[in-house]
Amino acid sequence: MMQTAADRKQRPVLDVRGLSAGWGPMRVIHDLDLRVFSGERIGLVGLNGHGKSTLFQAIAGLTGWQRGSIKLNGFEVGRTRSQGPGRYTHQIVRRGLALIPQGDEIFHGLTVEEHLDSGAFTKRAWADRAARKQKILKIFPPLDKLMKTAVGRLSGGERRMVAIGRGLMADADLFLVDEPSLGLAPKIGKSVVEALMAVDLGLSAMVIAEQNVALLQGRVDRIIGMHAGKLKGEASASSRSFGTERTS
Amino acid sequence: MNWSFVLSNAITLACIYGTLAIGISVTWSSLGLVNMAYGFIFALSGYGAWLASVNISTNPAIVMAAGILTGGAGGLIVCLIAFIPIHDKPSFPLRALIATLAISLVGNQALLWYFGPRAKSLPRLFGNWNADILGVIVTSDKLGASISAIVLLTAILLWMRSSRRGLEIRAMMMNPHAASIVGIGVRRTGFYVMALTGSLAGLAAVLLAQTYYVAPFSGITPMIKGLSIALVGGLGSVPGAIIGAAVLGVNEALTSTLLGGQYVLITQFLLIILVLLVRPRGIAGILDKAREA
Repeated sequence: MMQTAADRKQRPVLDVRGLSAGWGPMRVIHDLDLRVFSGERIGLVGLNGHGKSTLFQAIAGLTGWQRGSIKLNGFEVGRTRSQGPGRYTHQIVRRGLALIPQGDEIFHGLTVEEHLDSGAFTKRAWADRAARKQKILKIFPPLDKLMKTAVGRLSGGERRMVAIGRGLMADADLFLVDEPSLGLAPKIGKSVVEALMAVDLGLSAMVIAEQNVALLQGRVDRIIGMHAGKLKGEASASSRSFGTERTS
Repeated sequence: MNWSFVLSNAITLACIYGTLAIGISVTWSSLGLVNMAYGFIFALSGYGAWLASVNISTNPAIVMAAGILTGGAGGLIVCLIAFIPIHDKPSFPLRALIATLAISLVGNQALLWYFGPRAKSLPRLFGNWNADILGVIVTSDKLGASISAIVLLTAILLWMRSSRRGLEIRAMMMNPHAASIVGIGVRRTGFYVMALTGSLAGLAAVLLAQTYYVAPFSGITPMIKGLSIALVGGLGSVPGAIIGAAVLGVNEALTSTLLGGQYVLITQFLLIILVLLVRPRGIAGILDKAREA
């Protein structure tokens, strides 16, 4: 089925309305609305501790509590919960979400290859996993030699590649990438972000949370600022108003 | 003193206790559940095998299959009571510990009430003959127990290495949080894990009943031994559990020959304390070269 670019713009992959979320007595996200359309690549920028990761975790159902509507492909995955973080995460993931979490969350004893396999959870992705692995290796060529190595023995940059590769193995409609350059040497962080920019999204969408605006500028469709649990300001990446003069 | 006898005893015990230890270790690391009802599952599957031998046939394959299936069913019962309803509640490990302990107490009393206190013995599954291996005389039950434990364990470990479900279980063992992020359902994997570890208990029960007998409380000591081997090996490590089983099997065989059977638990726990003093993470801490998170 062919879809024009205009059609795609009409179809929201993610539609968040009135989302509040947090941990115990702490409320991190305050009545937040966000729409992400098919084919979009969005940068989510903001300082540490202003809720970027919590927003991603709320979409995946991993926060301590949450309320508000989260529609993934038109299907309601947001539940009002007061406990049980992660209880519904696998169901949300099966609905087409791929979360690439901060801090990688790797399985330290599995090999790189097993990691990539574990990302292909849907039936279609699993049957197709050999071809998908080849695609990931094209994005991250250094992983080719490490396929049989336990991930616990890799360096930080290699682990990040494995974590991102695992997310990209999924047959997902929405990729949430949390701080891809965090904790990496600037040069490696830049190459990881560049690899993310090179991924062909097709009909899916990608949201990248990042503190370093310069890394994203001019290469994503929209940049959204986040401050104190709310979305503040939005700019198409080319617009001057959001411009920072910093270069990386 | 007869070294070949000690050695064959050690290997047999190591195989049986290793089976139990792997079951306990896998349950703990993938589900976060210390299965105190493991001894009950063990005793239950002993009775399952006994019932099959009395009512169906004394064919070794049928008796063993009955034991393994009863064990799997027992594991599923424990899963339904002590894992599914409470696994996402706060302080789950403690709740699960108490719930499985309760299942164990109630279950053992139920077995006592239904089957009576008299011990039952299973038919000899492996016949009555002796094998001569490199000059060492080994009785058929020891040889059969060792070989069937090794074969079935190898099959299960290969399955965990190569299949998709096995990958899911291993992923859960290493990082349950990340497992849910990649779409692995905790509850469904819990069913697999509990059925699998339950059937391991069933296997161990049938094999151990070749030397001992089936009784309502016969599962307690094997469970303690399995748990301590899992601790020595490092909870969550299958190779660690195998080495731990070998070490404690040798210890048990040596102690009962040199000092007497009543001292086994004493030397065993002394050995465990010694290992954990040197390597707090157990034997797995020596094997594992991977950096953690």
